[in-house]
Formats: sequence, C-alpha cells, structure tokens
Amino acid sequence: MNRTAITVNRPRDEVQRLWLTPERRPEYIAESGATVTFSDAPGDRGTEIHVDLGDEGGRLAGTAKMLTGRGAPPLAKVKDDLRRFKQLVETGVISRSDAVPEGELAERKLKQRPAQPLEQDELEKAGVS
Amino acid sequence: MRATVWSGRNTVQVENVPDPKILEERDAIVRISSTAICGSDLHLYDGYVPTMKRGDILGHEFMGEVVEVGRRVDNLKVGDRVVVPFPIACGDCWMCKHELWSLCENSNPNAGLAEKMFGHPTCGIFGYSHLTGGYAGGQAEYARVPFADVGPIKIEDDLDDEKVLFLSDIFPTGYMGAEFCDISGGESIAVFGAGPVGQFAIASAVLLGAEQVIAIDQYGYRLEMARNRAGATDVIDFSQDADIVEQLKVLTGGRGPDAVIDAVGLEAAHGHGALHAADRMKQASRSETDRGHALRDAILACRPGGIVSIIGVYGGLMDKFPTGALMNKGLTIRTGQCHVHRYLKPLYEHVREGRIDPSFVVTHRLGLDMAPDAYETFKHKQDECVKVVLKP
Repeated sequence: MNRTAITVNRPRDEVQRLWLTPERRPEYIAESGATVTFSDAPGDRGTEIHVDLGDEGGRLAGTAKMLTGRGAPPLAKVKDDLRRFKQLVETGVISRSDAVPEGELAERKLKQRPAQPLEQDELEKAGVS
Repeated sequence: MRATVWSGRNTVQVENVPDPKILEERDAIVRISSTAICGSDLHLYDGYVPTMKRGDILGHEFMGEVVEVGRRVDNLKVGDRVVVPFPIACGDCWMCKHELWSLCENSNPNAGLAEKMFGHPTCGIFGYSHLTGGYAGGQAEYARVPFADVGPIKIEDDLDDEKVLFLSDIFPTGYMGAEFCDISGGESIAVFGAGPVGQFAIASAVLLGAEQVIAIDQYGYRLEMARNRAGATDVIDFSQDADIVEQLKVLTGGRGPDAVIDAVGLEAAHGHGALHAADRMKQASRSETDRGHALRDAILACRPGGIVSIIGVYGGLMDKFPTGALMNKGLTIRTGQCHVHRYLKPLYEHVREGRIDPSFVVTHRLGLDMAPDAYETFKHKQDECVKVVLKP
C-alpha cells in the first residue's frame, strides 16, 4: 500500500491554496513526486487529501533511503507531512510534547525522549524556541 | 522543578527536572497547587500500559495558577486560578467541534504510534504514556499546558482546591459514565468498582434521578463511602460472595440492572480465585493485556436491552469477552475517555451551588515528595485509602 489520505476540516479552495504557500507546503510530499489529489469530504467535513506514492514509493524517498540506508519508510514520512499540514491549517500550531518536541516525526517512533521538559540547548537542537 | 517520574514497574521517584517552557503560541505554564493520583495511574505504575519510558513525569489531575501564557492565549492571564482537563484538545478539528474532545485529531504528536495500536490516534493526555503523546504530567511543581486557550477552566470563587480539583478527570468521568445510562428517573444502575471514579458515577447516577444505585467492590470501607457519601442504595461486597451476577439479579427482582457501569478497567479483581489466576498469568506472559472480570460480569448482569457503560480504562486485548450475551441480550455499549471539556462548566456549577462536594473522596493529603509512598498506599489499599491529593 503506497497510498494514504487525511481529512482537513476546511473548505477545498482554502486547503488547496494553503498547500501551495511556502509556509504550509508539505516539503517531503512535494519533493517525493507523489500524486496529490483533493476532494470534498462528505457531510461538510472539509477536504480529503489523497497521496499516492506510486509503485516505487516515491522517487526521491526511495533514492535517499537507498543511498543512506536509513530513515523512515516513505509512507510514514508522508503521513508526518499530512498530520503537520492538518495541524497547522486547523490549529495554527504544531502539537509538540516533551517526548516528541519536533512534533509528529516517524524517526522519533522508536527513539522517544522521556516525557519531561527539555533543557534550552535540547530545545534548540530540536528546532523549537 | 520537583516532579514525580516513572522509573520502571512499581517505582516512582521525585526528582529534579528542568522547568517547562512555552513551546507554541497556544501554550500556558501553570504552577501547580494541587494534584492527585488517579486509579489509572496505577495501571502505569503496575506496568500494564505499553510505551512508558523511564523518566516520564506522571499525573493528569492538576490545578494551579497561570504563570506564563503564549501569544495566542487570550482568555487566560498570569495569576488566573485554573483546573486543567486531562485530555489535551485543539478545539478546531471535527471531533472537537462535535464535543468529542478526547478524540481530538491534532493533539497527539505520537499519532503514528497510537494508530498502530488502535487503528486511529486519540487525543494527547498529560503524563499518560507515549501512546497518548508523551506529555509531561502534573504531579510536579509546574506543567506546560498546550491549547490553553481551549482547555483550562477559570475558578473565580474562593472554593478550596479539593472541591474543584476533580473537575480535571474523575468527577466528569464518573458523570459521563452515568450520563451514558440514559437515566430519566426510576432506573436501577449497578456500578462496578467503588474507587474514586465509581464514587462519582454513583453520586452522578443519584443526581440524574436513578432510583436504585448498587455499588460493587471488595473493600468494606469503600462500600461504606459509596453508601454514606455517594448515595448508593445497595452494596455488594464480593469478598463475601463472589457471585455478583446472581446478587444483582436478586437485588433487582430478577430483571438485572437497567444499566451497568464499569468503573474498574483492566486490573479487575475477582472473587473466583482460579479464574483470576488464569487471567493474571496471561497478563504476566503478555498474551492478554486486559483483565476483564468486571466487564464480563457487567455484561452478564445487565438486563436485556440495557446499557453497558465502560469508563474504566482498557489498553489492549481481552480474552473470553462474552459476545454471545452482548449480542443476544441486545445490549448497547457506550464508552470512551471522558470528554472532560464538555462537563467542566455544568459540573463546576453543581459544585458552586452546593449540590455536590467532590472532596468527599479525599482520604490522604501529602506533600509531593511523598509521592512514592502515596503510590504504594493507594495501590495496596492500605490505611483505607480512596484518593490521594499531593501538594507540590
């Protein structure tokens, strides 16, 4: 399965417009060469975003993974991007916890920090503050 | 700051950790004045909830004073006294817009983990494993509260902490359990478990107009509290007679209760030694995570066409779930982590009007540094412990 989808609680024109703005544009998906389609969700629930990585699992993702031999599977990275986009569009912020200061991140799944506040230098390292 | 951290099965320690900081514009920092140990914390303490990590700060029932707010928090200011609901909810997603706060789609930054366990992620929760986000909890001197513009309720009366602290979890949780029962007057309701949540489920069922409320537990002192303080009309002590289902039938003229509330969850105890041992062994060998005597009995006892309300916490899988009884008796199951935000204002109003004083469950008041002893006392039901409040 190389497809995934998420529903964002906003009208389609707004979602499509934000998807293309530099501040909101999901970088990984954009660079992966995936096919992205938008449709109205039923029952006034906003907009469905469908991402299809194709048979290769996305050209850039596949190559990067092959070259470095590490990194999370492409679909997991796509899901990260979609969740962050949804969070930013719906709430205006990224959900960050002490264990996952960067926000949803596939690489963090197996390398969680303990759930206790970070020191200033750790926060800077995680790109927060 | 000082904080209660999980350091392995059956071990918590109070340690020095960094102070929390504002990470996003919708955060606030709260200096905690009172915090409590929840029965569901014991599931973490006992090691039944996966994805705990050494160093995790525990605690999801807390209140205190706002000491810092992010730029987009316009409803709170420094100095406000607040109670913080245990589910973290954004207020913007479809779930939040439909008052399903504990199913918030945006507040769990470990959504990928949760999705693997449950099919879909659920909300972030303070101090409650990495499956619910890996947020530091409130058994500490300070806590960072995300989406502070949505969750915390301001307390503007001079009511004691203990009268309002339980708005954070156990009072709304018990209330939701009773509300699930569709009480319109005259019903018989059975409440499995007379711990703190059970006490509030009983009190709420009485408040909503149930005629008969039956408390079930194995500790006499808890049943006494259920009868004398929460308002139970009948009690069943299953340490005396393990056949709960038959006793419930007798108490309800053979009909069975109209609705049953499971306020026990995944560490149920049982009067039948052999059955208990079998479940306990499966849990230890990790072939079953949830020990389900209470829920099984609840389903068997419920009258045909009745409601099974599950507010006790479960985490994984259970064996011998009585699907036959469930289906053939046409029962309705209602369950979930409490949508606390929905109940904050109405229940605060009940407290202000004096219709209920939630502090009746408190049996132990200790300093935060006593948390390790408090967990032991609570776990082993020593010293007639029902509810522990910690003062940082």
